[in-house]
Amino acid sequence: MQRMKLLVAASAMAGLLSVGAMAGNADLVKQGEKIFNTKKIGNCLACHAVNGKNINNPGNLGPKLQGLSAWPEQALFDKVYDPYTTNPISAMPPFGKNGVLNDEQIKAVVAYLKTIN
Amino acid sequence: MIGKIVTTSVAVLMGVTVLSAGSFNAQAEKDRQALVKYMEKKFADPEKSRAQFFPYATDEDVKTNLKKGVKFEDFRMGSYAFDKIGRGQYEEINEMPPYEDNIDAGEELYNNTKGIKKCFPDPAIAGEYPKFDDKKGKVVTLSLAINDCLKAAGQKPWKLTKGKMADLEAYFAAKSKEAGKKVDIKIQSKAAAAAYERGKKYYYSQRGYLKLSCATCHVQGSGNRVRKEVLSPLLGHTTHFPVYRLKWQGLGTLERRIKGCEKNQGENPHKPGSPWMSEMLYFMAYMSNGLPVDGPDIRR
Ligand code: HEC
Ligand code: HEC
Repeated sequence: MQRMKLLVAASAMAGLLSVGAMAGNADLVKQGEKIFNTKKIGNCLACHAVNGKNINNPGNLGPKLQGLSAWPEQALFDKVYDPYTTNPISAMPPFGKNGVLNDEQIKAVVAYLKTIN
Repeated sequence: MIGKIVTTSVAVLMGVTVLSAGSFNAQAEKDRQALVKYMEKKFADPEKSRAQFFPYATDEDVKTNLKKGVKFEDFRMGSYAFDKIGRGQYEEINEMPPYEDNIDAGEELYNNTKGIKKCFPDPAIAGEYPKFDDKKGKVVTLSLAINDCLKAAGQKPWKLTKGKMADLEAYFAAKSKEAGKKVDIKIQSKAAAAAYERGKKYYYSQRGYLKLSCATCHVQGSGNRVRKEVLSPLLGHTTHFPVYRLKWQGLGTLERRIKGCEKNQGENPHKPGSPWMSEMLYFMAYMSNGLPVDGPDIRR
């Protein structure tokens, strides 16, 4: 039980617990999609095409995103927060670590990424 | 080559100081050759080397849009060296180059601005800058040299990014191109080599809140896309400036272009004319040594 609490605390700190619980999931997905596609916010499309979604002129410095629905949320969160944790030479910017996106925004992006098959 | 032989024999005649001039660029020359080799290999056959250089590119890009067998001289053209669609659009606009008036305006400035002709008796010098000025102990870009000259003649310096500066540089570039000049950057002292090394460090370090380096986009990234833009290579980056950009609806210097890229990187741009900018330009220009001067040019 104690351990469980710790886990809960840890994931709340990482800002993950509330995905889907806080706002309606559909809203969150929409919000995430907007961050993904807006130049002044996430601008993810500068480097990524997305499987099954209609993205306007995506770049390809990064891979076409696919199969992300199968990724654990934490792994997606970590990738966006700081890609160097899993890939020290990643060309992807550390959006969370460098304060480009806050935890709430990353949660929204993760909700969107989870819809990518 | 002949130039090299002549310099060497002069060096022998003049003794030690000049003799060692040849070796101060040893590291830079190694870097340059490695870059040329990398780019030639990358663009020899993009479809074949896809896994190594274009892991995330679309089939269309590697199979049809990216040109094969790009030659050394072609790299003076930026991304149009290998982006076939971009090249087509570029050639269309170039039938009526929008920078012709700027070259004329630059010639006017050359002939009628006090001091300029005296400082630059030969206008075909675009490929020789930036230079390292050993007396001042710093890198002098063409823009800074022009301003030094204006100041010496008692005139107000010009803005480094556009306007008169860009026009005069367009004239210098056109004259250099006409004369068949090549980029010829020299590193002839220990201090010059150190400035080059600092410029290289700036170019390869991750900066700005996005933690991107220039090299992420223009070395590894070259030939790949950010949004729909095909990224141009470091090799050849300084050969064709100033450029008339459709986005600017006007002409701009290399300094102006780099400010834009620093913003893309999520960084507050450095001041044009700052040692940071000048030393990075020194590094960038050295990388293009041996390529024909090809400015002014047009870009989207
Ligand atoms: C400057 C380019 C760039 C930008 C901008 C960028 N990425 Fe990436 N991304 C990459 C690269 C390169 C990789 C592959 C290397 C790696 O996994 O770190 C990658 C990998 C990923 C992966 C892992 C995909 C897989 O299949 O392994 C995810 C998920 C991802 N990015 C999401 C995002 C999101 C969300 C954003 C915006 C908030 C974003 N990226 C912005 C370059 C970028
Ligand atoms: C996020 C990606 C990115 C980064 C990082 C970046 N650039 Fe760029 N750069 C671009 C794009 C996109 C263009 C326009 C397409 C092209 O010509 O490459 C461009 C164009 C240029 C050009 C003009 C090329 C031409 O032929 O007109 C120069 C010079 C340049 N960049 C230098 C730099 C320098 C120096 C840095 C680092 C301070 C840098 N860039 C960082 C994306 C980037």
